[in-house]
Amino acid sequence: MRKGRVLFCIFLIAVAAYAIHSALGWSFKTRLFPLSVSIPLLVLATIQLLQVIFGKGETDEGAGLDLDFSSDVPPEVARRRVINTFSWIIAFIVSVYLIGFPLTVPLFIFFYLKFQSEVSWLYTIAATAITWGVFYTLFQWLVHIQFEPGAIQTWLDL
Amino acid sequence: MFDAFIDGLFLVLQWKAFSLMLVGMSLGFCVGLLPGIGGAATLALMIPFIFKMSPAEAFAFLLGMHSVAATTGDITSVLFGVPGEAISAATVVDGYPMAKKGEAGRALGAALMSSLLGALIGAVALALAIPIVRPLVLTFGSPELFMLSVIGISCITSLSGAGARGQIKGFAMGLLGLLVSTIGQERQSGSLRFDMGIMYLWEGLDFVPVLVGIFAIPEIIDLAVRGTSIAGEGPAENLRSGVMEGIKDTFRHFWLVFRCSVIGVFVGIMPGAGGGVAQWMAYAHSVQSAKDSKDRERFGKGDVRGVLGPGAANNSKEGGELIPTVAFGVPGSGAMAILLSGFLIMGLVPGPDMLTKHLSITFSMVWTLAIANIITVLLCLTVLDQLAKITNVRGGWIIPFVLLLVFVGSYTANGQIADLIVTLIFGMISYFMVLFGWPRPPFVLGFVLGKVIETYLFISMSRYGFTWLKHPIVVLLIILMLVVIAYPYIQQRRDRSGNPADA
Repeated sequence: MRKGRVLFCIFLIAVAAYAIHSALGWSFKTRLFPLSVSIPLLVLATIQLLQVIFGKGETDEGAGLDLDFSSDVPPEVARRRVINTFSWIIAFIVSVYLIGFPLTVPLFIFFYLKFQSEVSWLYTIAATAITWGVFYTLFQWLVHIQFEPGAIQTWLDL
Repeated sequence: MFDAFIDGLFLVLQWKAFSLMLVGMSLGFCVGLLPGIGGAATLALMIPFIFKMSPAEAFAFLLGMHSVAATTGDITSVLFGVPGEAISAATVVDGYPMAKKGEAGRALGAALMSSLLGALIGAVALALAIPIVRPLVLTFGSPELFMLSVIGISCITSLSGAGARGQIKGFAMGLLGLLVSTIGQERQSGSLRFDMGIMYLWEGLDFVPVLVGIFAIPEIIDLAVRGTSIAGEGPAENLRSGVMEGIKDTFRHFWLVFRCSVIGVFVGIMPGAGGGVAQWMAYAHSVQSAKDSKDRERFGKGDVRGVLGPGAANNSKEGGELIPTVAFGVPGSGAMAILLSGFLIMGLVPGPDMLTKHLSITFSMVWTLAIANIITVLLCLTVLDQLAKITNVRGGWIIPFVLLLVFVGSYTANGQIADLIVTLIFGMISYFMVLFGWPRPPFVLGFVLGKVIETYLFISMSRYGFTWLKHPIVVLLIILMLVVIAYPYIQQRRDRSGNPADA
């Protein structure tokens, strides 16, 4: 955890340093605001990094007004589930890129419910059909949102 | 004046205007529930339909839709941690933890009732303030508006964690949000900033993909990790009594709701500040109203006061935003700018005429805000039991639908796959923020306010150099900001002197 905290501080320092480096080459008007925020960000992130490395360790002086992740699950299981969920999200985006949004919607719902949540065939098929119907009616038929065709459709000229 | 007030009511209650208001409300209800399709965008889509309506019908339709979207946006914020509207993000901070504790009914009851009270207070403010608000708006120039926005960020950052370390993290996140808002074309000179050669970034990052990534993704991950329902495996809430408890909470903390409504009206009146500031300032005020630092620690963990404040401010600002729009033709937000085009289509010129010749139409807007919100809340209360049951459904069954909601919402921002990638990237950053204890609210507020703050800073510097720092109201606001920043320390010190054992 401590290593992660250090890495996150380094990430913030890198972002601020990149912003300062880029902004220095711009005109006064353009760089005024980015420099006004990135310099203090660099200072604060550095102070935080030094506190993490040399301080007495993390106290409860953290994110008072925010979510606390569940601590009931063993860390190994939690890590596996986090990676698993991010994989589904990435798979969704890759699928949108390859076959487009309208086709991804029913496929994603079907595969997630059947293979990740392991629900019954009946529920899976019914939920997939209803979701696809609502999606089509609302976003394509009523609101007319233009969804980009997938790379495969573009490639096959469909 | 009283005659115009009553005439305004009858204008709304005419069958055609009333029916159109109900149609608008139905649209607003759906729009509020769906992340990404914002109230402003829907107003723009509906403008072509008002050409054949009378002014009272058109405003009943448009305002009915717009005011309801702000109310129902809170529902997904509470149930799934996904803000239905960008202006409902603050409700997530305590509303979703309440749902996780099995108190979804109570949170929804509180959100809806405080929204209703907020809307009514906003409507009353609109009715009362029009003749007296002119000097206030004219007193606030760019320097004052800049300071007001900075106070908005200071409020939330200073309350983001106990002690110096919590403050460092809060301010760092606020600054990161401001920095991210500078991505894209700089509006004064047109120069590109941090675009990394990617054309998508030229126009800057849209609010929705970033907001849903920041708030929704970590909540979904947490739900997947827990492997239970949103409400967990604790005893199921008695929904009806939970909703009633939420309603009672609203009246138990009536003065908090009232003060947050006033904050909403005030921020609404100020052009450009918008709903994002109103709800976060109200949230910060709710936290500041805690009795001591121990009481304050309950916020973010599911304290009903964290739902009441933003809920009230969210809706009262609608009335506030209408004040400068109607009285001077100065729209307070994007949605109001679109509404202003509705005025022009109807052949109405905002300004003195709206307070004399067309006063009954102005009052019909007041009535629309009030009636639309009353009907929505009553309707919602009848279905809340069913809605809150969703939090007892196994996480694995609802995660794909929530993910779909998130990504469709994100995609509607620009209709590009890059929107989804932005959501993923900010979702990952947000996951690590939560994991390592860096607060998200200051980041969101910094991001939402960044462009406004930069514009005000630029105008202030161009027009006054550094002398704007000596403006009396600016000096007052700077003092107020310092008090806001110092307040947690003062409170901590007071607690310690009260309880020497804690020292």
